[in-house]
Amino acid sequence: MTTISKAGALTAALLIGTSTFAWAAPPAGSKLTVATIGEPATLDVQLSPVILVQEITQHMFETLFALDAADVAKPLLAAAMPEVSEDGLTYVIALRDDVTFHNDAPMTAQDVAASLTRWTTVNSKGKAAAAYIDAIEPTGDHEVTIRLNERFAPLVAMLSQYSVIMPESTLADPLVEFVGTGPFRLQERRPDQYIDLRAFKGYTSPEGDANGYAGSREAMVEQLIFTPVPDANTRVEGILAGQYDYADSLPISAYDRLEASGVAEPVVLKDSGWMSLNMNMKEGVLTDPRIRQAVANALNSDDLMAAAFDNPEFFTVNGALFPESSTWYSDAGMDIPSEGDMERAAELLEEAGYDGTPLRILTTRQYEFNYKMAQVAEVYLEMAGFAVELQVSDWATLTSRRGDPAAWDIFITNSVFPPDPSMHNTFTAAYPGWYEGEGKDAALATYLGAVGDDAQADAAAALQAQFFADMPIFKVGDFNSLSAASTKLEGLEPAVWPFFWNVSVGN
Amino acid sequence: MNSVTSVILRRVGGMLVVMLAIVTVTFVIVRLTPGDPAAMILGDQATVQDIADLRTQMGLDRPIIEQYASYVFDALRGDLGQSIFLGVPVLDAIANSAETTFFLTLFAILIAVAIALPVGIISAYKRGSVIDQIAVGVSMLASSVPSFWLGLILIQTLAVSLGWFPTSGYGGPGASFATRMGHLVLPAVALGVVNSALILRFTRAAMLDVLSEDYIRTARAKGMIEKRVVMRHALKNALIPIITVVGLSVALLISGAVVTETVFGLPGIGNLTVNAVMRRDYPVIQGTLLMVAGVYVLINFLVDMLYILVDPRVRL
Repeated sequence: MTTISKAGALTAALLIGTSTFAWAAPPAGSKLTVATIGEPATLDVQLSPVILVQEITQHMFETLFALDAADVAKPLLAAAMPEVSEDGLTYVIALRDDVTFHNDAPMTAQDVAASLTRWTTVNSKGKAAAAYIDAIEPTGDHEVTIRLNERFAPLVAMLSQYSVIMPESTLADPLVEFVGTGPFRLQERRPDQYIDLRAFKGYTSPEGDANGYAGSREAMVEQLIFTPVPDANTRVEGILAGQYDYADSLPISAYDRLEASGVAEPVVLKDSGWMSLNMNMKEGVLTDPRIRQAVANALNSDDLMAAAFDNPEFFTVNGALFPESSTWYSDAGMDIPSEGDMERAAELLEEAGYDGTPLRILTTRQYEFNYKMAQVAEVYLEMAGFAVELQVSDWATLTSRRGDPAAWDIFITNSVFPPDPSMHNTFTAAYPGWYEGEGKDAALATYLGAVGDDAQADAAAALQAQFFADMPIFKVGDFNSLSAASTKLEGLEPAVWPFFWNVSVGN
Repeated sequence: MNSVTSVILRRVGGMLVVMLAIVTVTFVIVRLTPGDPAAMILGDQATVQDIADLRTQMGLDRPIIEQYASYVFDALRGDLGQSIFLGVPVLDAIANSAETTFFLTLFAILIAVAIALPVGIISAYKRGSVIDQIAVGVSMLASSVPSFWLGLILIQTLAVSLGWFPTSGYGGPGASFATRMGHLVLPAVALGVVNSALILRFTRAAMLDVLSEDYIRTARAKGMIEKRVVMRHALKNALIPIITVVGLSVALLISGAVVTETVFGLPGIGNLTVNAVMRRDYPVIQGTLLMVAGVYVLINFLVDMLYILVDPRVRL
């Protein structure tokens, strides 16, 4: 038997040019600049799973699995999908053996186990998963085993976001070294100026065609720069002037200018998020389910979304937990009117003996769509017989107040769609709103224990039906958001967390 | 001890008391403001318990008196703490932003003075003429224009349409000093033009007051040439109110720069402060407010000292 060293194999592979080891250096001096909405709170995405942090750090850090364009998990740092025991309690995950960290150390099973363990202690979803996890341990040089104490269907979906893998030696709280396995490595961060990422020469791509966040990844530019530009109008002018190659989150009113510019083109991100009025189920008038149903009956979703997003091309009225384009979409339990049925709302209020206590609605002008939605909701709720008190503050104050069950009745928020039904924040009893109940617990347990696609789909529909029966939030609709890309960009795939591997900058 | 030294010592002592009061007031206000950094870091998914856990990890659940004592003690040793979000000491964060704000303010005040001083003098000298009426009219207009609006107009015309200047930012990685300064041209013009209106009106009014004085009439009667009358006698005596308003303008520019820095995406003290407030980055809010207040106090002190220099009759 003939054996060759890894270096020899690499050389041979490069010579014949057929291996995933091959690294084609991006053109010298090539640079792609992204204007973001601000400075990220941290680069520790395990701790801070917010959109901006995820958008930037996904180029540096990778997870065991990644979601494809249909939100289906595919192997990324894992060599294959996990082998799950018949009882659904043991997940054996084979790891790729060709992965190197940015500090040139090879990725080991020990690193993976340590990173996932940290994820279960600092990340909100990781903490939720921890209740089902007995052990995360390396069971081979390139194998990690996760043992559960109960079936937990969303595990692989959870391992596709935020549960990034870092070298065990860099794990710390707070994280101070940002070493990952991604196609770009951190060169320099100058807060409020830029985050400078460079193509990682030691990167090896997963196999398979690029598909959503999954499949082949290649750094096509030498330098990837994220620069905070907090003013939305300045982001528009910057991309029109050719200063940026991509600009995040732009005013919808800029669409026509972008389209006519010839230098940039609008990027519409379909169903990038959804709006909801979240209700307090722990204290106050909305602890009575009939009054929550009255709120849902009183509101007119079309008017609320129109006020918030102005252009009908940029929103869809949809009360379901997922958009119609999702594999998780279901209309189960959706028999609540969303056109403002004042009579029914008034009946429910009378039935519940509503005493005129004002509904305190928390909203913010920091996100204008949030405030406009609150204003229209106020009018409809008053028409139905509610007394309403709008409490307007900045977002930081709102997030603080909503933690106190005595301080509010409704808060308005927007969220991105999770990859799994059980990962909606609302289903977490500790999330503000404090949604608890035997019906929900049973439906959630059925979903978490479901095995197979059909069983999961049925359980997800039942979970949604239970959700509508309990009405912990009023889901108003889904919205599209607007970004813009330079016409020089090639290979860009629109995504909620825009990614710039496989993207080059032409002339 | 002569009277000037005594004045200086009194003023320095007063400045220290003011600074301690500012530290205390900002500490209390910041801690009483709703919202907290843990919630901002963790994002929308966080539960109440997640936020409480992180607050404990960051030491934010310690008694406020203990936090205050520790802050004052560290501040006296020159340590303003560590930014919760930026991962760097507050002093480093301020130092990183100081260059931008310093040069932006410097350029803006130079532009403002370069416009206001000659136009103000001419306007006063030619009182009631067409030139005076135009200068007063334009200054009224300039003082009513918000600097952010002028900034957006400048971006639209000079940056986007003509491509002469960058729209925003501070030059990116490895940018040279010249490139960084190039990024300050438009914001400095926006700030400078708006602030020139105030200085212009004060210069004009001060010159008008002085030009009607008896000693000016006497100088003219003695046959002194007009240029010498205006520049040597009138301007010199009008300088005190002008210095006051220029000093006030520098202070206003520093606060006005908050909005301009946001519009132009400049990493200055203003932007740092606004972001810190949005994120509830307590140490940075305290550090930047302390620094800005310190600059105000120092400018007031320097202006007072200039009074003494310009007019020895002044004793404070």
